[in-house]
Amino acid sequence: MSTQAPSPTLELAAPSGAVARWWKTADRALAWAGERLNPILVKETRQALKSKQFMVTFGLLLACGWIWSIIGVSSIGPGAWHGESGPEMFMGYYCILAFPLIVIVPFAAFRSLAGEQEDRTYELMSITTLGPRQIVRGKLGSSVMQMLIYLSALSPCLAFTYMLRGLDFPTILFSTLYVSLGSLALSMVGLFLGTLTAEKHWQIMLSVAWIAGLLYAFGGSIALADELIFGWGIDVLDAEFWQVNAAIFTAYVAYFVLIFYAAASRITFSTDNRSTRLRAVMFVQFALATAWMAWFWVGPVRGEDFALPVYLMMVGIHWYAMGVFMTGESPELSLRVKRRLPQSFLGRGFLTWFNPGPGTGYVFATVNLAAAVFVVLFAVVVAESFHGGEFLPQWDSDHVEQTLAFGVLFLSYVVAYLGVGLLLVRMLRRAVRVGIALAPIMQILLLLIGCGVPWVVQMLTFPDEGGRWDYSLLQAPDPFWSLGYVVDDWQSGLSDDTGWLLVIVPLTALLVFLLNLRGVAHEVRQVRIAKPKRVAEEDAEKLPPPESARPSPWD
Amino acid sequence: MPASHPMIELRNLHRYFDETRAVDNVSFRVYAGQVFGYIGPNGAGKTTSMRILATLDLPTAGDALIDGFSVVNDPDRVRYRLGFMPDYFGTYANVNVREYLDFFARAYQIRGQRRHDAVERVMGFTGLDVLAEKPTNGLSKGMKQRLCLGRSLIHDPAVLVLDEPAAGLDPRARIEVRSMIRSLANEGKAILISSHILTELAEVCDEVAIIEQGRLLAVGSVDEIRNQARPPQNAVEVRLLDDVAGTGAAELGRWLGDRSDVKELNVNGDSVRFLHAGTPEDEASLLRSMIEAGFRVIAFGSKDQTLEDVFMQVTEGRVQ
Repeated sequence: MSTQAPSPTLELAAPSGAVARWWKTADRALAWAGERLNPILVKETRQALKSKQFMVTFGLLLACGWIWSIIGVSSIGPGAWHGESGPEMFMGYYCILAFPLIVIVPFAAFRSLAGEQEDRTYELMSITTLGPRQIVRGKLGSSVMQMLIYLSALSPCLAFTYMLRGLDFPTILFSTLYVSLGSLALSMVGLFLGTLTAEKHWQIMLSVAWIAGLLYAFGGSIALADELIFGWGIDVLDAEFWQVNAAIFTAYVAYFVLIFYAAASRITFSTDNRSTRLRAVMFVQFALATAWMAWFWVGPVRGEDFALPVYLMMVGIHWYAMGVFMTGESPELSLRVKRRLPQSFLGRGFLTWFNPGPGTGYVFATVNLAAAVFVVLFAVVVAESFHGGEFLPQWDSDHVEQTLAFGVLFLSYVVAYLGVGLLLVRMLRRAVRVGIALAPIMQILLLLIGCGVPWVVQMLTFPDEGGRWDYSLLQAPDPFWSLGYVVDDWQSGLSDDTGWLLVIVPLTALLVFLLNLRGVAHEVRQVRIAKPKRVAEEDAEKLPPPESARPSPWD
Repeated sequence: MPASHPMIELRNLHRYFDETRAVDNVSFRVYAGQVFGYIGPNGAGKTTSMRILATLDLPTAGDALIDGFSVVNDPDRVRYRLGFMPDYFGTYANVNVREYLDFFARAYQIRGQRRHDAVERVMGFTGLDVLAEKPTNGLSKGMKQRLCLGRSLIHDPAVLVLDEPAAGLDPRARIEVRSMIRSLANEGKAILISSHILTELAEVCDEVAIIEQGRLLAVGSVDEIRNQARPPQNAVEVRLLDDVAGTGAAELGRWLGDRSDVKELNVNGDSVRFLHAGTPEDEASLLRSMIEAGFRVIAFGSKDQTLEDVFMQVTEGRVQ
C-alpha cells in the first residue's frame, strides 16, 4: 500500500497594500450601488436568471447565432477572403437579435405587470413604500437588463460581420442602436398596457393584440434594417442625417417620457395628483416640436409652403389627443391635491392650468394650440416683413391667408369638439359614475356624428350629377373634409365656402368655450387647504422650515 | 401626538359596490398594544374594511386613520406604519424565502445591515430560518402563512392588519400563530385581526367588533358585547335525584317552559338543559324557586357564553 503524498496547496499571495485598498474601495462602491438598485430590478433579475423562459430564449438565441454562423461561413466559403458577404450575414444576425428584442422583451414587460396583477402580488408591492415611478423604472430596468444580455450574447457575431467586408461600422452601430431603442420604447408601451386593466378577459385580449402588434413591429424592424443595409445606407457625413436623427430622437424621448409618466400615473393612488406631471411633459413636447419646426423652417426647409401647416397639423393632433384625456379627468380634487394648489398670484395665473381637472385641461389644450397659431402668425409676419434674407426664409405672400385660415379652423375644431365632449361628460357624470375612458369614447362618437350625419344628408339630398361628392357648407361639422378642403384651396386662394367656414366654425367654438367657462371657473376657484395637524407635525419633525425662508412667487 | 391616540380608527366608513353596501357606517378604534378581533360571516365586509385600511381601496364615504393619518389622503404615510397580511399568499416564482423577504425589505427602503438584520429577525420570529433557501412556491400552506406574516412585519410596523391569519392551519400552527400575535401586541403593536375561528379570537383578542351585512352590530370586549347586546344568556344544565323514569325531568321541563327567561329547553333522561337570560343572581333565584317547587336538584351547572355564543346571538346569518 503506497502512501499518498499530500497534494500541494495553492497559496494565493496576499494583495499588496495599494491593490487591497483599491479592491476594498471597489467592493464598497459596488455594495453602495447594490443597495441603491431598484428593488424590482434586483428581484426580477434573480427571478429571470432562474426562469425557464429566459434560459430557453437565451439558449435559442445562442443556438441560432451559431447555426447561422456555420451556415453562413460554409456557404461563403473561400469567398470570405475577397468578397463582400458582411451585409447578408449581418441581416441574418439582425433577424435573430430583433426577435427577442422586439417581441420577447416587450411582451415580457407587459406580462410582468399584468401577471403581477393577476397573481395579486402587485397589491402587496403597491402597499410598500415603493412609488409608482419606482415600480415602472424597476420593470423597465429589468427589460433593459434582458436586452443587454441578449445584445451581449450576439455582439461578437455582429462585430464579426464587419470583418467580412461590405458593411461599414456606422451601419452596424446605428442598426443595432435603432433596434435597441425600439425594444426599449416597445417595453415602455408594454408596461403601460400592463397597467390598463386587472380584468383577466381584458388582459387576454390585450395580450393577443399586443403580440400581433409586436410581430408587426418585428416585420417593420426587419424592413428598416433591410433599407439601412441594402438601400438608403447611413451617411454620417451628411448634416441632414444628424438633423433628422436628432429630431426623431427628441420626439422619441418626449413620447417615451410621456408614456412613462402615463404608466406611473395609472398606478398612482387615485387621490394623488395624476395629471400635473403629464401636463408638464405635454407642454415640453409642444415646446420641443415648436423649436424643431422653427429650426427646420429657418434651416433646411427654408420657408417651404408645407412647413407651417404640417406644424399646425402636428400640434393640433397632439393637443386634441391630449385634450381628450384631460377632459376625461374627474372634476373633484382630493384634499391631498388641494394641499398643494398654487396660491400666489403668479402661481394661480400660470400653474392653475397644470392642476388636475377637465376644465383646466380643456383650457390648457386650447391655450397651447392657440399659442401655436400665434407662433405661425408671428413667423408669417416676420417672413413677410423682412422678405426673406440670409437668416430668414422667404415666404410667398399668397399663402399667408390660407395658412392662417388652416390654423384658425384647426384650433376652432379642436376647441369645439373637446368642449362639446366635455359638456356631455359633465352631464353624464351627474347621472352615473364614469371614468377617464368615457372621454375618448365620447369623442369617437362625436366625430362619427360630425362626419357621418352631414355626409348622409348630403348623399340623400343632393342629386347624383349635382355635386353630391363636392364639398358644401353642410360639411362644416366634418373637420377632416373641411380642413382638407382648405388645403385643396391652397393654390387658388380662399373660396367663399372657406370664408363662411371661418365664420361658422370659430363662432361655434367660441360659443362652446363660453358654455364651458362655468365648469372651468368652478375648478379655478378651488384654493389651497391646510395640511392636517398630524401631517404638519410629522413634516415639522422631519424637516423643520428654515427661519428665513422666502416663499416662492410661484407657490 | 399622545401615546393614547388610536393607532387604527374607522370613522363612519362606507363602501358601496353599486347597490351592495359592503361597509355601512362602521366606526371603531384600536390602540397600541391591543389585539382587536373583527368577526362576521362571509361577505360581512371585513375584508373590504381591511383593504381600505391597507390603502388598497377607497371608501365611498367616511375615513380610516392609521396613527392619525388618513388612508385616503396620506396613503404614503400610512404604508410606512402598516403591515398588511391579506387572505391570499402572493408568492413569486423562482424566489426563495430569503430573497422574498429581502425584496420587501428593499421595497420598504431598508438598506445595508439593517435590511439583513430585518430579514434574519423576521425569519427567526416566524421560524422560517431553516427554510431560508427554499423556493416560496414550494412551501406548505402553513409555511406560506408564516411567510406572509413575516412579510407584513419586515419593516417593523406599528400597526398590523391580519386577514384570516390562521385559516387552514393545523392546530399546532394555530397555537404558534396565536402566540406570535400576542407577543407582537406585547411589543406595543396595534393589531386588527379577522378570523372565522372564534374560539381562537376569544383567547387572543382584547376587544372584538361584530359586523354583518356591512353594519357594525357590536364593539367591545366579549363580556361588554354580551351585556350590551341583549340580556346575558348562560347555558344551564340541571340534574335531578333518582329520576330513572325521567318523570321529574319532564315535570321540570314543563315548569321551566312557563318562564319567560328560559329558552331552548332540552330534556334528556334525568337532566334538563336550557338557556337562561339573566345575571348570576337571577340564576341563584331560579335554583331557589326550583327547590321550593319540590324538585330534588342534585346538580345545577351554569357556564358563561363563549364568543361563538355571543356571535350567534348578535348575528342573524344574513348575507347580501
